[in-house]
Amino acid sequence: MSQGTAVQDVPTPAEKTEPQPLLALSGVGKRFGEFSALSDIDIAFNAHEGHCLLGENGAGKSTLCNLVFGIHQPTSGDMRLDGALYAPANPRDAMRHGVAMVHQHFSLINELPVIDNLLIGKKFGRLNRKAEAEKIMTLATEFGLGLAPFEIVGDLSVGQRQRIEIVKCLMQRPRLLILDEPTAVLLPEEINSLLDVCRRVAESGCAVAMVTHKLAEIARVADRVTVLRGGRAVAHSADPSNDMDVLVRAMISREGEAGDNRNFGVSALPPRKLAPHRGPLPEAMQIDNLSFVDEIGVKRLDSVTLTIAEGEIVGVAGVEGNGQSELGSILAGLSHATSGRWFAAGHELTTAKPRQITAAGVGVIPEDRHLVASIGQLSLADNLQLGRMQGFARYGLIDRKRQREEARTLMQRFDVRAPDSQSAFSTLSGGNQQKAVLARELTTSNLRFLLAAHPTRGLDIGAIEAVYTYIRQAADQETGVLLISSELDELLAVADRIVVFYRGRIIGERAAKIDNRDDIGSLMSGKTP
Amino acid sequence: MTDIPYQLPGIPSAAYSDILGRIAIPVIAVVAAFLVGLVAVMAMGVPLDRAVSAFINGAFGSAYSISASLNRSISLALVGIGFVIAARAGLTNVGGEGQIAMGGVFATALCLAPGIAELPFGLSFIIPLVGGAIAGGVWGAIAGFLKVRAGANEVITTLLLSFIAIWLLYWSVQSENLLRQPMTSSATLPESLSIPASTQVPLLTGSYTSPVTWGLPLTIVIAIAAAIILSRSVFGFNLKAIGFNPVAAARAGIAVGAGVVTALFVAGALGGLAGALMLQGEQYSLKAGFSSNYGFDGLVVGLLARNSITGVIAGAVLFGFMRSGGISMEMMASVPSALVGIIQGLIVVSIAGAAYFLDRRSAR
Repeated sequence: MSQGTAVQDVPTPAEKTEPQPLLALSGVGKRFGEFSALSDIDIAFNAHEGHCLLGENGAGKSTLCNLVFGIHQPTSGDMRLDGALYAPANPRDAMRHGVAMVHQHFSLINELPVIDNLLIGKKFGRLNRKAEAEKIMTLATEFGLGLAPFEIVGDLSVGQRQRIEIVKCLMQRPRLLILDEPTAVLLPEEINSLLDVCRRVAESGCAVAMVTHKLAEIARVADRVTVLRGGRAVAHSADPSNDMDVLVRAMISREGEAGDNRNFGVSALPPRKLAPHRGPLPEAMQIDNLSFVDEIGVKRLDSVTLTIAEGEIVGVAGVEGNGQSELGSILAGLSHATSGRWFAAGHELTTAKPRQITAAGVGVIPEDRHLVASIGQLSLADNLQLGRMQGFARYGLIDRKRQREEARTLMQRFDVRAPDSQSAFSTLSGGNQQKAVLARELTTSNLRFLLAAHPTRGLDIGAIEAVYTYIRQAADQETGVLLISSELDELLAVADRIVVFYRGRIIGERAAKIDNRDDIGSLMSGKTP
Repeated sequence: MTDIPYQLPGIPSAAYSDILGRIAIPVIAVVAAFLVGLVAVMAMGVPLDRAVSAFINGAFGSAYSISASLNRSISLALVGIGFVIAARAGLTNVGGEGQIAMGGVFATALCLAPGIAELPFGLSFIIPLVGGAIAGGVWGAIAGFLKVRAGANEVITTLLLSFIAIWLLYWSVQSENLLRQPMTSSATLPESLSIPASTQVPLLTGSYTSPVTWGLPLTIVIAIAAAIILSRSVFGFNLKAIGFNPVAAARAGIAVGAGVVTALFVAGALGGLAGALMLQGEQYSLKAGFSSNYGFDGLVVGLLARNSITGVIAGAVLFGFMRSGGISMEMMASVPSALVGIIQGLIVVSIAGAAYFLDRRSAR
């Protein structure tokens, strides 16, 4: 939603003289066994510049960052930092050379205050927290990073925690700051301030390298863009805001509607064909006056009532933190409502366990793919059959051959790409992981209702399109769908109607038509007409 | 996005599957530890040849000593297999000692119960074995139940339950109302009556010169079954899923609570069975100190095996023979049997250390 405005606020790039590259990669490649993650990469990162690495999932962006930060070592080519050969053996080595990285997953100790997290490993002897905090605050304010040094990390929002990670990097006065998909975890309003920080860091003379696949962000921070596809650099641009079309074309082999790149993944979907009217449809799912009070006594859900008919896709819009996660968690059986009831496929499931919910014919695509939806250490085939192994058992022993065959069938049907059904799940790209989760949940026996919570989060455009195609196919076969998403454009394109959550309540409902966009936007901010 | 993950902790890594990790490192560790042991013996001023021959005689010098060593290995192997099964579900069962004790107490009670000794078809010794296993299993399951219901850490609960079990055993051999033999004089020892011959586990050879019991083939069958269950069964798969990620396992419809309780029940039952076998195949009466550290040594065997049943067997045989050798060394050459404990400790440290370095190397 806020991305729409972000695209218009394009700052004019500063005057550029051709700078001396700070870090230059030439002919860099990385193989993992048979698999070539990167090949023949030539990139230069310049001081004073923001450089975005753009690409779909699995394009090699993270691998590139890991090479520069010393987590992995290139198998070919070389890197030069300020003209001198640069081959970091490990992250510590990279940091000594002035390279710092903000990872997608934070490494903070939640129980400790911010200041302790920042000083860990940096101080010996007497610790004067107050003096250190002042020093750090000066640094943080310089870059426009608000910090409360004595707050406990566990009480802070994701955006605030990310700021701690950034300050941690900046404390080393890096020459190159790498950010791996920093905006993937942020709320829309936090994204803008992060991008401002990136700009300021670049202006201070540091080189900033940022991985993303959101085009709107590029216009705000990038002086240069490199597009990766299939482990190769397929396009460079030194004037990204004018080259947007070219970049999009380079990123994906197919092309979207000209001028509208933001929601390419959903705009490529055909318009939804509504089934001919057959009178009132039987309901797939019903929520009756559901409330949820969390352990610290905050009312997260407040008397929510909602009915979804068979074959209907209902979108849940709302700024994150307005009760959507709690609703998702209750419908997945991971927590129970404080009051109220809910039903699906004719069964009351208010106090049901996940197992019983699945057995009733409910598929669940949880919000957290890594923690809830899958087990990274198990194979793809095992994840496709998680919880259903009994179906392949004879006398309690698993018929591995049949299980693998079945997994291969699912992989084909849902276009899950992996070297083998036995590949470790964690080695798949995000898009393929999500397709695998979908494959499992959509083949739940007697599927009548599907809960999809942020099913496209962190996915590239191609995978988004695939995910929604499968979800729609399910709806076409009479499954009711509850789709929770923070991307309003996706909801408008995919859902039949949209309910808006605000402070735990449904404060409005609109048909999913593009004309209602502004109306829904104002409902999301709590304004009722 | 996760292109290539870091090496995830806690997974048997590729390095361990190669020859070096699996065979060479343990062998080197054992040899090195024994060499250190020899140096210690020399430092104590004991003639080396006397100590070594005492050790060898005690461990495998005769049919009798081999049998005794094997009987010790059986107990260690059962506890170790239980440890590995629980570990598959991400649980650390340190309660072997108490599970052995409970197995011993209930097996004794059943052996001495009226009518049991007269049962036909070997039921006279099978029922006490099963009863001992169930008692140990319940003792383990309590920890599982506490974990599922109250979130209590099983490392703590299994350990504390062990203390309770050990003192229950002590109480039962101190009180005539329980298992203590009738007091005929003030010199009557605080131990149970000897169990009737028909409740003793029969010897494989039938002769007391090589007293290895039917517990040996039973343990081998259990080991094979455990290996198959862990690698190929739905139950084993579910345990693995629970161990890696209980939330995802639950969401996918695996009964996590039941899995945790069952895993600890099985681990405890194998400890209980070890206790019953120790009573009915070796000691024949229950006394204080009955479990004599087999629970903790079995835990070490399970830890060293790094999730492999084959590893458990190898470790159990090694430790079982070392224990016999150590006892004999103490008696024949006055070398404290604590030396065997030192050697065991060295083996543990070197194997664990080598595994750590191998994992780090393969993570690169």
